[in-house]
Amino acid sequence: MDKAPNKVVLILRKEWLELRQQRVLLLGMLAPPLIFAVMPLAFASFAGQNLMEEDANMPNLNDLIKLNPALEGMGPLELGQTLITQQFSILFLLLPVILPSVIASYSIIGEKTSRTLEPVLATPVSTRELLLAKCLIGVVPSVLITWLVATIFAIGLSFVAVSPRVLEAIISPGWVLVLLLCAPLLCLITVAATVAISSRVSDPRTAQQISVVLIIPIMGLFFGQLTGLLILSPILAVIGAIILALLAAASLWIASALFQRETILTRWS
Amino acid sequence: MVNAIETNGLTRKFGERVAVDKLDLAIPQGKVFGFLGPNGAGKTTTVRMLAALIAPTAGSATVNGHEVGREDTAIRRSVGILTETPGLYDRLTAHQNLVFFAQLYEVPEKRAIGRADYYLRALGLEERRNDKVGGFSKGMRQKLALARAVMHEPAVVFLDEPTAGLDPEASRTVRQFVKELRSEGRTIFLTTHNLPEADELCDLIGVFQIRLLQIGTPAHLRSLLFGRGTVIKTEGDASRWASVATALPFVRQATAQDGILSVTLDDPDAQNPALVHALVAAGASIRYVEPMAHSLEDVYLELLDEKNMG
Repeated sequence: MDKAPNKVVLILRKEWLELRQQRVLLLGMLAPPLIFAVMPLAFASFAGQNLMEEDANMPNLNDLIKLNPALEGMGPLELGQTLITQQFSILFLLLPVILPSVIASYSIIGEKTSRTLEPVLATPVSTRELLLAKCLIGVVPSVLITWLVATIFAIGLSFVAVSPRVLEAIISPGWVLVLLLCAPLLCLITVAATVAISSRVSDPRTAQQISVVLIIPIMGLFFGQLTGLLILSPILAVIGAIILALLAAASLWIASALFQRETILTRWS
Repeated sequence: MVNAIETNGLTRKFGERVAVDKLDLAIPQGKVFGFLGPNGAGKTTTVRMLAALIAPTAGSATVNGHEVGREDTAIRRSVGILTETPGLYDRLTAHQNLVFFAQLYEVPEKRAIGRADYYLRALGLEERRNDKVGGFSKGMRQKLALARAVMHEPAVVFLDEPTAGLDPEASRTVRQFVKELRSEGRTIFLTTHNLPEADELCDLIGVFQIRLLQIGTPAHLRSLLFGRGTVIKTEGDASRWASVATALPFVRQATAQDGILSVTLDDPDAQNPALVHALVAAGASIRYVEPMAHSLEDVYLELLDEKNMG
């Protein structure tokens, strides 16, 4: 029997049809992951070949070794490569903020500016289905790209790492957990923030610029690790995931409150 | 006759501002209802309430037997809407736009494809079937949006300014399409500023400015405001025949201008012979006699004037 398809799937299909025709948008989505995959590997490779022994004997490095047991017993080259590459590995968490902000801002504000929201809202689609589709189109490709790029990075690192210990220290259980748990949650928060921002602005670029404010806490993590104040352990990853889950729940609640037929048609500027 | 749309004291406020005030309507099934009013009168707000897009602040309404506010999804399934702006996906083709929306209205894919082809043909867009909508003219977009509004074969269709900004040819196609929808038995709720169009298409007209000022058939509204009458073209100056006409007991009013005598009567069919006889007897040489026709524009402006004067 010819059956009506699921509306969420239908909207996702339509979004994909539109998305793949926007070359600038696709470029904006693909450029950061490529940079994020290549740059850390290039630095890792450089550090593995060129770090001087005297650099590894600096007093602050000794402090870092005390804070991070994974570094204990490493030779100077291993230590240098691990410390430099670990900093870049945190930057992978920027992708779950950058990518969904690009997709969601075009997906939601695009509908708003082309005035397609009213005809869509006039159909029997529920606002929950519509919001779910908008979230999925922002979250799913972003998470998949993040994981794909992280996998490429891990595989690439296995070739340039000066020893297996370096690989284990960088591709640590904490890092893997952060990517598996925190990346999807960061995507959700970004999409929810974009929905909230979309109720006030009418330009996708403005929405992107505002939503990338979410990068700030991640940069905090980056500098925390750089200074040795934070070590990306499994416990820290789980704590981070719990905090992000709470934030994601709160931001989705706000987004769904703003994403109502009445509110969209009468209050969205 | 069963009413497709009924409202009782339907009211919508935005903060302290009243957009729609105690609207009472009863629109029978299969009729074209013209909803006339100036910009900012609350027409779009009314349509949005009836299409279950926004909730009323007070009062009640039923559309296709479903109550607004209680059975909103059922209402959305059974109505089609042409919004003020077409709101189409520019990167999708005409066909993809129609099929996507039909499927959102729960039309199975095969049927949606068939209907999309049918309506594209009906509106003269079949050659642009696979072209992206971004390259369409305003008229083509409007026609496509109109097709989208009926892809799920709704019983009630809301059309918000369907011919606004269209060239005469596109306007005629749209009007023809509206007539076809009416002939299929659909109820059409048409908001428009185009008064000749309303006159041509509508069985029933409501003049509205925050509240309903008057409702009736176009002929009823004309007679209600201006009475019925007869226009008589005489040889030479007609002003001297005005007094002859006014002297007749059944004449309500007679005025002359540019050789034309306009006489207001209660029952022109019965009273015209006596009127013509009296004028001829007084020496008038009559060139022609025809019914007095007030345009819908006269009716509309008169009603708004009355409202504005309090």
